[in-house]
Amino acid sequence: MKKEDRSEIVSITSRKLVPYILLFGLYLISYGHLSPGGGFQGGVVLGSGIILLSLSRGIFLTEKKFSSPKITFLEAFMITIFILLGIIGLIAGKSFLGNIFPLKKAGEIPTAGFIFLLNLVIGLKVGAGIILIFYSLCERQEE
Amino acid sequence: MIISILIVIIITAIFALQFKDLLNAVIALAAFSLLLSLIFYLLHAPDVAIAEAAVGAGVTTTLFVVVISKTKRY
Repeated sequence: MKKEDRSEIVSITSRKLVPYILLFGLYLISYGHLSPGGGFQGGVVLGSGIILLSLSRGIFLTEKKFSSPKITFLEAFMITIFILLGIIGLIAGKSFLGNIFPLKKAGEIPTAGFIFLLNLVIGLKVGAGIILIFYSLCERQEE
Repeated sequence: MIISILIVIIITAIFALQFKDLLNAVIALAAFSLLLSLIFYLLHAPDVAIAEAAVGAGVTTTLFVVVISKTKRY
């Protein structure tokens, strides 16, 4: 998309909206064990925030900041972290993905032990996957 | 309440199928998705409603519009 086919209203509105959308995604991820939301939903919201950023700034500027190899590495790294967290539960003598952290009173963020970490990892992985889908659709085909 | 929203959902689905212009069909599909997430919320499934609103009305619409912008009209 060239700069001329974007209207000024779309560009400025989406640019101002992006930080709030990213903040809402982080809220959905970090309160996933207390309220509706969770890793998948928060990750999708994070990914759509970056997609909105590329609608406002152009795909080239966005891809300079969040480059495609970086995002690919993030996705693969996060699933590795997820499996390692599961194996830590196995090593501690519990089941796969078993919790080793102490549980506190319900209602605060670091109360559910592993669940917050797993939500964070899954959220980043899903967001990276959605950004990758968008990048691979936007690739310019060589004729 | 739910019955009337369901009737509007059926109307938007018929629109999404019958529009000749693909961009109009995508917008109708986004409206379908948004109303479906409202139904999920009214049926006490806010988790599914958030997922449906984020994926169906947000990401899928953007991807469809990007793909349509790469095609030509004959």
